[in-house]
Amino acid sequence: MIKSVLIFNNHGKPRLIKFYQQIDIATQQALVQEIYSLVSKRPDTVCNFLEGSKLLGGKDTRVIYRHYATLYFVFVVDESESELGILDLIQVFVESLDRCFENVCELDLIFHFDEVHHILSEIVQGGMVLETNMNEIVAAINEMNKAKKKSGAATTGSLSVRASETLRAGFRH
Amino acid sequence: MSAMRGLTVFIADIRNCRVRELEEKRINKEMANIRSKFKGKKKKGIHWIYIYIYIYIDNLKNIYIFFLETNLNGYQKKKYVCKLLYMYILGWEIDFGHLEAVNLISSQKYSEKQIGYLAVTLLFHENSDLVRLVVNSTKKDLDDMNEINNCLALHAIANIGGREMAESLAPDVHRLLISPTSKSFVKKKAALTLLRLFRKHPDVMPVTDWADRIISIMDDYDLGVALSVTTLVLAFAQSYPLEYAGCYEKAVNRLKRILVDRDYSLDYIYYKVPTPWLQVKCLRLLQYYPPPEDTKLRSDISELLQIIMANSQDAPKNVQHSNAQNAVLFEAINLAIHLDSNSTICAQAAQLLGRFISSKETNVRYLGLETMAHLAACVDSLEPIKRHQETIMMSLRDKDISVRRRGLDLLYSMCDMSNAKVVVSELLRYLQVADYAMREEMVLKIAILAEKFATAYSWYVDIILQLISTAGEQVGEEVWYRVVQIVTNNEELQEYAAKTVLNYLGSPQYNETMVKVGGYILGEFGHLIANYPGCSPIEQFQAIHAKFNLCSLNTRALLLTSYVKFVNLFPEIKGQVLAVFNQYRYVLDSELQQRACEYLTVSTMPTDDMLQTICEEMPPFPERESTLLLKLNQKIGDTEDKRVWFIGGKEANLERQEGLKRMASLRMNSTESTPSQSSPKQATTPTVSTPTAPVQQQQQPQSQLAVDLLAFDDLTLGNNTTTSTPTTTTTTTTNIPQPVTPSLPPPQNVPLAQGYELGYNRSLYTSEGVLYEDTQIQVSIKSEYHGSHGRLAVYITNKSMASFENVRFHATSSHPETLSIQLTGDSPKQIQSAGGQGCQLLQVECHDTFNDTPSFYMERHGADILHLKLPIVLTKFQEPITTMDGASFFKRWNQIGGAPRENQVIITCQVPIQLDNVRNLLQGFKFGLLIGVDPNPNNFVGAGVIDMGASGGKVGALLRLEPNLEQNMYRLTVRTPSETVSEQLRILLERPLTFGA
Repeated sequence: MIKSVLIFNNHGKPRLIKFYQQIDIATQQALVQEIYSLVSKRPDTVCNFLEGSKLLGGKDTRVIYRHYATLYFVFVVDESESELGILDLIQVFVESLDRCFENVCELDLIFHFDEVHHILSEIVQGGMVLETNMNEIVAAINEMNKAKKKSGAATTGSLSVRASETLRAGFRH
Repeated sequence: MSAMRGLTVFIADIRNCRVRELEEKRINKEMANIRSKFKGKKKKGIHWIYIYIYIYIDNLKNIYIFFLETNLNGYQKKKYVCKLLYMYILGWEIDFGHLEAVNLISSQKYSEKQIGYLAVTLLFHENSDLVRLVVNSTKKDLDDMNEINNCLALHAIANIGGREMAESLAPDVHRLLISPTSKSFVKKKAALTLLRLFRKHPDVMPVTDWADRIISIMDDYDLGVALSVTTLVLAFAQSYPLEYAGCYEKAVNRLKRILVDRDYSLDYIYYKVPTPWLQVKCLRLLQYYPPPEDTKLRSDISELLQIIMANSQDAPKNVQHSNAQNAVLFEAINLAIHLDSNSTICAQAAQLLGRFISSKETNVRYLGLETMAHLAACVDSLEPIKRHQETIMMSLRDKDISVRRRGLDLLYSMCDMSNAKVVVSELLRYLQVADYAMREEMVLKIAILAEKFATAYSWYVDIILQLISTAGEQVGEEVWYRVVQIVTNNEELQEYAAKTVLNYLGSPQYNETMVKVGGYILGEFGHLIANYPGCSPIEQFQAIHAKFNLCSLNTRALLLTSYVKFVNLFPEIKGQVLAVFNQYRYVLDSELQQRACEYLTVSTMPTDDMLQTICEEMPPFPERESTLLLKLNQKIGDTEDKRVWFIGGKEANLERQEGLKRMASLRMNSTESTPSQSSPKQATTPTVSTPTAPVQQQQQPQSQLAVDLLAFDDLTLGNNTTTSTPTTTTTTTTNIPQPVTPSLPPPQNVPLAQGYELGYNRSLYTSEGVLYEDTQIQVSIKSEYHGSHGRLAVYITNKSMASFENVRFHATSSHPETLSIQLTGDSPKQIQSAGGQGCQLLQVECHDTFNDTPSFYMERHGADILHLKLPIVLTKFQEPITTMDGASFFKRWNQIGGAPRENQVIITCQVPIQLDNVRNLLQGFKFGLLIGVDPNPNNFVGAGVIDMGASGGKVGALLRLEPNLEQNMYRLTVRTPSETVSEQLRILLERPLTFGA
């Protein structure tokens, strides 16, 4: 199962924290810092898998991550998940973000953190892969936005903040 | 959300804080602001939340106070909760706002509801009392007509579902999953939500009852639903493999639809690969079952594997494509290894893997090594892997630590007698430069390999001491304990070990573990080398003592003990040693001081008697499981899904494979025990009609060939009239032990008598009674058991108008090595008509755990055969224990621990539970009931000892039965030190508990 999904930037600033196990906030932050320190040291040419440390749950835990432009997308999983499958899932997640935000960049994730959570919730639920078809994911999000609109709240349009690098540049990795 | 200006401003503010202190200031200001807003002025009118507050007033008094006064509209609440969430992501502890989130959930506006649920999933803890506040609104949303609200609720349960939610919401979630009116996107979420609740609280769900329904959804056309449901089934099948056995074929069919028929929605093609996730899930599911017996299924699977292998030959277009392709390929290889590690497909796979491990792609190298380690862990011949030994060793020097780790795992798994020396010395060489993070594990692995594959004692000693000297601090205590154990237990080793360790001590380098080993070994075996040059007693003593002051207090204490042994072994250096003792009499550390004083006194006694007694050579250590393996394996086995293989050689995987085998045999038994179902063999051979001996022999199935060979001995003895009598059978037709008339082997293909179950099931928990009755005959039994032996008397009453002629009896046990059965005493040849009675005595002995009950045949008129099952089950050999008190019960209970030695089941009782009947039933199964152990007087706690003879030993069985009278359900938990016994007992008790005694 997927134990947690994390997004942080090149400086270790968290942009999304989602744990599928019950862990107190202090440990959550310690984990983020630990994973950041492990992952940020690795050049882009090495593999995308890391063995978990004691804090993470030891040998049976794998850290699977991808680096896009300014952001690291990290999935912490147990050994029953296929490593490459998760790697693909990260790609699906990022491409879905890209479609929902129209050329996504870090700022989108900051100002629309709730939206990012909703998109993730269409892909992973309770630590299990829910949906991998991008069309389905985007359709579900659109459905939500329609419901929101009906209830009177403004929906997330693409925001005019375009100061930081878009993630699409990193798709080749 | 862009409409929430306050939030955007707040986030922008935070982003402008360049240093942590400024951020903290801003956060604190905002928290204070929100806190005061949430307190606000007193609200007019009464709000629905009052009801809850009234209930939870004791636990949450403070919340009660501030919620009562809240006076914010939905939009404001949403905005503030959002701000709190942002702070949470930044890592700030959020200790308020929970009730506002609960309040938002019940809002009519979707945007508010959505934020409410988000906050609940992020901020709530599953065990928090606050979860109770959410249950009702969640239930309302589950029942809502609007699917989008169903989804929100499902997602929340999947995140924070604890016992409370499992108990009250699982039926609703299940309904959403199986309802034909549910939309696909609801179904798939319901499946995963159910999975979460099952993982948390398996006992509140009748998972086995759902089997057929849920398995059938695996065929859903929507691949999203198929994926989620397969994930769900994957988990259920691990707990209830038999009930969910149907999923095997479904998974194969699904793979066929994807790979052969190319039947899938185009949306699900991910970079040219159709739904790789579902493929991987299906392939993995198949690994939780033993290889199928059905040849069609087998050939289907191998065709699928071939297709996957062939697909992998396509040159990938980009990284994404190759990832997806390989994800499927690697799982397929894992399945191929699982099915038959010596098949041609595996040979192909080994070749592919050989290419992968030298790939340029780091990910591929990594997975190649990992999968090869799986192959090495299962395959009979390591040759194909050893061909790549060079490359694998090179991977220890890969630039990526993740790859290096996998390389280490693989080397460890592929090590055997022939390459142990090369592998171990390579590992030792690598240890010197290895990352600190890997060293401890490497040391353990080297130590294990050295011990396992040592051919020469000197080699073992050399390696292990070199290991200690190289790794220094990374050597865990257990490594040197183990060395000492092995040296002490192997006399041939002692002299060489003493000499080598002395050598190491002579080097100027300081290494505390080496000093410990040296101190211990020289103290015990120093005298063996005292005559060699450079090893004289004084030199030994000085070699150790030179390091004495560098050591920790513990080590010094150990060394003092070595010294007193020296005094005993070498009186000539007594002077020097006593000086040390004398000096340490005044040391501050009490342990050292005490030792020094005691040793000094003992050494200076008028006679050496005391000293000699104390310093007797250590007795050999009892054989025990290597502490090294224990340490290495301690992490294994606590992940959510079970592992499908373990790192290490074949032995490491034996247990899992045994488990699968047992499952396979269970699968067979479950079909056999259905009386109406006849196997193909039975269908083709006609029923026996007074067979002549040779014909009978031909009809014996192949499996009895070995037995036939044994029977030839009888023939050579010259007893030509005796036809082969399988040793499994005892047949008597007359009252003398040596049969004179031809004795027949037991009938092979007689179906069980109609309606035999009734008496059989009842007799399982009674010692006497009617076993079988029809219009012509009544069979009743009496039995008594002592320890592993039992005696039975079978009474046959003839109810018909004609007497039974040519009566013969047979009794067979399908596994005589676990349960032997024998006819004894006189056998009646004839039973008079109308009430005439005959009696046949039997003896049984239990040698080990068994799950098959013996068969009993009665032949009349030379043809008419009655086949019954004898009610001889494991519990018959049980002695009840009634004297155990609560403390010792729970001590044992906890010692045995959870699964696999615990076997638990939830039983939905088909008749109303009556506690008196249950008590009698448990006592009938020879459990001693312990009164007052369980705080709930309705619960039963039982204990007994099962005697399985000299080979099986005695096994203590503990039982706990918790009836739930409202639900008419039981939870039955059996714990014994043996996995199979626990399972067997559970099976025995489950049926009568379900259908009532």
